[in-house]
Amino acid sequence: MAFLELSHLHKSFNHAVAVQDFSLSVERGEFVSLLGPSGCGKTTVLRMVAGFETPTSGQIVINGREVTQVPPNQRHIGMVFQSYALFPNLTAAGNIGFGLQVAGKPKTVIEARVREMLDLVRLPEFGTRYPYQLSGGQQQRVALARALAPQPEVLLLDEPLSALDAKVRAEVRDEIRRIQKQLGITTLFVTHDQEEAMSISDRVVVMSKGQIEQAAPPFEVYNYPRTAFVASFVGTLNQLTCTVANAAQGHLRHNGSTFLVPGPLRQAEGAQVVLMLRPEELRLGKAEGLNQLTGTVQSVSFLGAVVRVKLLHGLSPITLDLFNERNLKLPEVGQAYIISFPPHACWIMGENAEDHPADAHH
Amino acid sequence: MPKRINVFAWFIVILGALFFLLPIYGTLDFSLRARKGELSLLAYERVFSDPLFLQAFFFSVQKALLTIGFSLLLIVPTAYWVNWRLPRWRPVVELVTLMPFVIPAVVLVFGLIRTFSRPPFVMTRSTFTTDILLIAGYMVLTMPYVYRAVDTGLRALDVRTLTEAAQSLGANGPTILWRVIFPNLRGAILSGALITFATVIGELILASFLVRPAFGPYMESMGQNKAYEPAALGILSYALTWASLALIDVFARGNKQVASIR
Repeated sequence: MAFLELSHLHKSFNHAVAVQDFSLSVERGEFVSLLGPSGCGKTTVLRMVAGFETPTSGQIVINGREVTQVPPNQRHIGMVFQSYALFPNLTAAGNIGFGLQVAGKPKTVIEARVREMLDLVRLPEFGTRYPYQLSGGQQQRVALARALAPQPEVLLLDEPLSALDAKVRAEVRDEIRRIQKQLGITTLFVTHDQEEAMSISDRVVVMSKGQIEQAAPPFEVYNYPRTAFVASFVGTLNQLTCTVANAAQGHLRHNGSTFLVPGPLRQAEGAQVVLMLRPEELRLGKAEGLNQLTGTVQSVSFLGAVVRVKLLHGLSPITLDLFNERNLKLPEVGQAYIISFPPHACWIMGENAEDHPADAHH
Repeated sequence: MPKRINVFAWFIVILGALFFLLPIYGTLDFSLRARKGELSLLAYERVFSDPLFLQAFFFSVQKALLTIGFSLLLIVPTAYWVNWRLPRWRPVVELVTLMPFVIPAVVLVFGLIRTFSRPPFVMTRSTFTTDILLIAGYMVLTMPYVYRAVDTGLRALDVRTLTEAAQSLGANGPTILWRVIFPNLRGAILSGALITFATVIGELILASFLVRPAFGPYMESMGQNKAYEPAALGILSYALTWASLALIDVFARGNKQVASIR
């Protein structure tokens, strides 16, 4: 049995279903993100694990102990909130020591542990500061230290980075991951930011409408999305409606051009399928042996490492990413360009990783 | 144009100040004229030398402190629960806490006497149980102020998240109230407490109908029998009230500073 086992969780609020049939096994020391748009039920799942909500049905087991009906203060969980939720009347040290004090630990033990935690979050000098004397990033690190001090079995992070500005956010994010790895603590992280989820997690659980769409490592979620929702929610995606010309050979027809895709296809000839392409797999210009189409440049935005080009192919918008280099010639708006892409970059909705695991990984 | 508004504003301010200050000045002046033809503190000396004065004063101080204690024990958990778990009930609870403004103290005290002077609750026979009635009555009279002060303090906190944070750290309900909610309501609790103190010290109706030797009835009886001493008492009770208000201001300001930085 996994360390944290959620089986068939279901939660409704006055007939509105928030979470349905949610099952997830998290291994000891694993970092799992719950990712999805607001209202998808990810926070409700986290709050059920914390004990702040009781599931309508289903079961939660932490380290072999069934806790579904156990009140939050007896679950041995640590939680970090979006709004930090530090106790304003206590110093950083007082906040970090709170859990140990409640547990009735001796003063010397508390002091030692508080010092250890302040070192862990790299704020050794800040123990005597009050929350209002700390920046957002510092407050969130203190909140993390506070959650970890009583040595919880599971760490729950509820959008802990959302209130921070971009630079601090990346810093705290790396800090969380470093500490999580160092302590080997099982962690559940809720976010609506796919980049955040991708960069920090061992596994990403993409959710929509209270259900799991896909639970897999970030690489797999990004490159082999199991559903249309995952494909469009995670990263940018081009979608082209094509007709199957030859299922056995993997030939698709689109606006008079033929694309070669990994075959054979399940769909019958003449069937309509949606061809999906990531912007970074498209190239500008002709290339031997690649699929091609033409597009007119609508806009060019310089994002630093990447230049994002938006084109129009017939009526279909196409997004293409170029890697920046100093001698790159930026495409001109209004000009038509040939876009090429290799067959292995193509995947077809419904013909996915789950159906062809062997194909998908080679 | 702006200048005229300025003059008008000053006129109103001065008029208002005179309206409030002249009677106080008159009382103060009168209280100092107990000795014919000169200013003296004779009236104050007489007030302080009256054993009944200190008795009445300390009786009321004691009752005020008890009222504050029991009010907070009743109202802080109630307001906390409403804020945390029953926000939908807030309008109802607010309405209930406003009732003392609608029901005059005379009605309240007659209600108390009628209900608690006959079986099954005979409470007006001994001074101890009558004092309980008195404190209960004070709690009702001051409830609007205390509830509002506490509620405002709670709204400035993120009660739900702080509670959940404390729960996740292993704290149970009483621990959360005592270690998280009460300390963070210091300013709010103090302002509620001080308004309660000022109200109870000057309260007349409940104490006189329940026939308890409180400061209010003492002042009233002085007013009927003496000339200069009531004026001195009036000034003393003004001073106490103002001191209470000044204390509230100091503490409220300290609290606001913390809140705004947060």
